[in-house]
Amino acid sequence: MTRREIRADTELTLRMFFTWFLLAGVYAAFVALLFWAGVNFIGIAIVAALLLGVQFFFSDRLVVWSTRAKEVSAQEEPHLHATVERLAAAANLPKPKVYVMNADIPNAFATGRNPKNSLIAVTRGLMRRLDQPELEAVLAHELTHVKNRDVLVLTLASFFATIAAFLMRMFFWSSLFGGFGGGSGDRRGGGQAAAMFMVVWIGTIVIYFLAQLLIMALSRYREYAADRGGAILTGAPSQLASALMKISGSIARIPDKDLREVASANAFFIIPAIKGGDIVNLFATHPPVEKRIERLRLMQRQLEGL
Amino acid sequence: MGFLDILLGRSKPTRSRREAIFSITTAEVSLQTRFGILPSGRAAVSFKPVEASFFVNMDSEIRELLRISARSTATKYEIKDDGYGYRWVILEDRDFEDLVSIIHLVGETIADNGYEQQLLAAVFGFKEGGKDIYWIYNYKRGRFYPFVPEGQQRRDSATELRLRAVIEKEMPIEPSLERWYALWGIPF
Repeated sequence: MTRREIRADTELTLRMFFTWFLLAGVYAAFVALLFWAGVNFIGIAIVAALLLGVQFFFSDRLVVWSTRAKEVSAQEEPHLHATVERLAAAANLPKPKVYVMNADIPNAFATGRNPKNSLIAVTRGLMRRLDQPELEAVLAHELTHVKNRDVLVLTLASFFATIAAFLMRMFFWSSLFGGFGGGSGDRRGGGQAAAMFMVVWIGTIVIYFLAQLLIMALSRYREYAADRGGAILTGAPSQLASALMKISGSIARIPDKDLREVASANAFFIIPAIKGGDIVNLFATHPPVEKRIERLRLMQRQLEGL
Repeated sequence: MGFLDILLGRSKPTRSRREAIFSITTAEVSLQTRFGILPSGRAAVSFKPVEASFFVNMDSEIRELLRISARSTATKYEIKDDGYGYRWVILEDRDFEDLVSIIHLVGETIADNGYEQQLLAAVFGFKEGGKDIYWIYNYKRGRFYPFVPEGQQRRDSATELRLRAVIEKEMPIEPSLERWYALWGIPF
């Protein structure tokens, strides 16, 4: 039996594995630091878990609310619905809800806590600019985010980073109002406590930034994974490449004001709406379009049996 | 997908399950004799063509296969592309068993060429009175479900549920209703 299919991307798997490994290391160091300093973070952990839990559980509604996407019925958008439905059947997923945003920026996102409660949203601009195979390729990319459970994964990955963010804020406020441990005790003890406080504070800041760096890397790898899964689903990597070129080309021409309107949901979009300019690639949620197109080209070669 | 696959974002193509398709042969007999639901004489396989040069070779292999079987079973065939980029091999034959075996053969040819994950569905046309009824075989699930379109983007769910009830003992029916994917614009 011949197989001309997109092969497993071992490099991507290894990179993701290594990122998880580092993230676990950073988080372990964080917990160790807090234990060493005797910071009681159970309360904060519970608050962080609740906050992330709510964010995760209502992820679909939150993003819909912040992007003002509207659900469309199959009667309103028969073609879009039928395309999504066929892809869902091919991916062996329940059909997600279909939303449309009234923006001219060509973009799309998918979210939801699990495949049963997922949704896919596209902008009018996307539907206008892309032809059917390209639109299908973008929808397949988004559907792969659903299949890969990316909302769950990124929520899990940011648990300790959220705790660190809370602690950073707490330390900041307590430093304003005369500190940790109070003013009692002798001068030497107070000095020692202050030094320890500084160590924990700086440590937390360092850990927070390291964690953000790793989470962003993970987010970029998830994009590659979604590109790959989408290409497997449609059997047409070059259509996704062409869609990405069209989308990124028009992003640059869109005025800033509109871009900010959709910026809050960035991590879920197929192309981030903020043009980074000089924002370091390390902190980008999405890999550069050229790199994604390059990988899609390799997949096309594999499909050709080359 | 397992936990590790989720953490590492590995997607694998969903393999197809092609064998359960034969169960429609027995179901057809009871649909016809006990419920007066007759086969329309048409059935089709729908698959997503891969954008690769090699796929073209397989296409001609399928055409050749259809030409040969058309000669021995008098099955008419037609190949059409729909507006969503799916290819349909549409067969017409009064003999239901011939229809099923050629549908199966087309599925096997696609799988033998290494494109089994491209198979979307096999569709069998039936008629109850004047109404079009389709039994859809989902290759990814290896199960059947009924599809009764009623005008623009509307399904006759009551009829679909009744169809499930009468035939569920005789062929594997998709248990979760959310996987009863609509297939609008079936080209036959």
